[in-house]
Amino acid sequence: MLHYLKIWLATARYSIVRTLMFRGDFFVWSLVELFWMTVNILLISVIYRHTASIAGWSKYEMMLLVGTSMLIQRLLMGFFWSSIFEMGRNVRTGHFDFFLAQPGNVMFMATTRKLDPDGLLNSFLAAGLVIYSARELGLHPGWMDVLLYLFLILCGLAIHYSVLVLSTSAVFWLTSAQGVEGGYFTLTEFSRIPREAFKGVPNILFVWLLPVVVVSNAPARTLLPGFDWRWVLWLFALAVIWLALAVYVFHRGLRRYASASS
Amino acid sequence: MLASLNKYRHAFLVGLQSNIVYRWNFAVRGFFSLFHLAVVFVLWGAAFAGSKDIGGYDLRQTMTYFVVLLVLQFFIGAFNEDYQISEEIRNGLINQFLLKPINYFTYRFSIFSAARLVSGTLIFLPLLVAMPILKDYLTFPTEWWRLALGLPALLLSALVQFSIAYCFGLLSFWFLEIQGFVILSMAVETILGGQVFPLDLMPASIFRLTQYLPFYYQMYFPGAIFTGRLNDPAQIIRGLGIEFCWVLLLLGLGHFLWVRGLRRYTAVGG
Repeated sequence: MLHYLKIWLATARYSIVRTLMFRGDFFVWSLVELFWMTVNILLISVIYRHTASIAGWSKYEMMLLVGTSMLIQRLLMGFFWSSIFEMGRNVRTGHFDFFLAQPGNVMFMATTRKLDPDGLLNSFLAAGLVIYSARELGLHPGWMDVLLYLFLILCGLAIHYSVLVLSTSAVFWLTSAQGVEGGYFTLTEFSRIPREAFKGVPNILFVWLLPVVVVSNAPARTLLPGFDWRWVLWLFALAVIWLALAVYVFHRGLRRYASASS
Repeated sequence: MLASLNKYRHAFLVGLQSNIVYRWNFAVRGFFSLFHLAVVFVLWGAAFAGSKDIGGYDLRQTMTYFVVLLVLQFFIGAFNEDYQISEEIRNGLINQFLLKPINYFTYRFSIFSAARLVSGTLIFLPLLVAMPILKDYLTFPTEWWRLALGLPALLLSALVQFSIAYCFGLLSFWFLEIQGFVILSMAVETILGGQVFPLDLMPASIFRLTQYLPFYYQMYFPGAIFTGRLNDPAQIIRGLGIEFCWVLLLLGLGHFLWVRGLRRYTAVGG
């Protein structure tokens, strides 16, 4: 475990040094993330100009949900996105050989190689939105609530990570996993909607079959009134199942990897 | 004149063939767009549960707006033209155009038109699959003048879309990496083009301001004409005038960037 921590700290140090070398790039990408977060906040603000409630959720409850969803997404972008995105390309080009020769678990090495400080910076802004919304709602969560919230954010991060690894692992069979990122972003749009808004087929598909709604609704519920322990158990179980599935599929795919000629 | 047009006709046909190769790519993208429509349906459906109309429009009119915008996106939206142009500059592939009597903008626009013809046709496949559900949520105005004004608006919108992508692509003469700028601009275009919410739902003063920006004419303007969110022909004709001015301005900017960029350009490779 300590061995992996040392490896991860070394890659983190490398990523930060690299970011400091390309400061302009860091500034532009931080702005990119900020602008896309603003898009979501503006959508909520505009809808609530014309209605008082969406599926029983007030404006600041929705902001808290959107902030939670963005927090998980920004953490994913910061810690894993670049590495997983490049994994698809590396398998296709044969550069994936590099990870097979490294001293550690291939999945860990391939998915934690790069850190994006711009994503991590914006996760503070997402957390700021959650805190601001909680203040506007007059919420005073205790330490246990906050710890539970953070635990569920971690579970959500594990689910997002697993879904992305699973989709990108398709490259072992299909040679190309282009467009996966578009699909991922489309699915995360569901996580900014209250669970109560889903009825009929969307309810079955996006609440029960795919973990795209519960991933943000469960943590948000720990701070809002109406918290239910079953949400915690449900999300934790989903995180374990999806992570196990991602590990299994990745390693099955790895067996098919045949490198590429130069 | 005809001979000149003929070479771009061939560029169009080559573009058509190469885009048909990627038909599954467009089809998958279209399929994921259905998920986006599901998000719109769930979110706005829940918003309309609390009030019968939002901004003077009911759920069906709002859903129609988003469906039309989706179709427009596949028919006139710039997908990755900026990247293609950027790659051609970075890899020295534009060398061939500097030696031949070919206008680079017209050449790229011919390929853009071919690509949109393919993607625009293919978006109807997932929409047809979803039609049994969608049909209850679609409602269109029946005035014929909307076609007469909407089609020129659509053509000009395609030019606005492409010209903006073209200008961003040409930034590669100055910057090694333009991806950040492109995605930054995409966020602004998505909001001010009306893809996230109909622009008329914003406060009146901001809505008025957006009408003087090029983004308004990328999607919202033709979409609003076809879906009945713009109802005054005089106002639409005025909008067409502003849109035409933006097309001229963007074409001028594209030409300026091309001429200035070529002065900095070093042709590398054989």
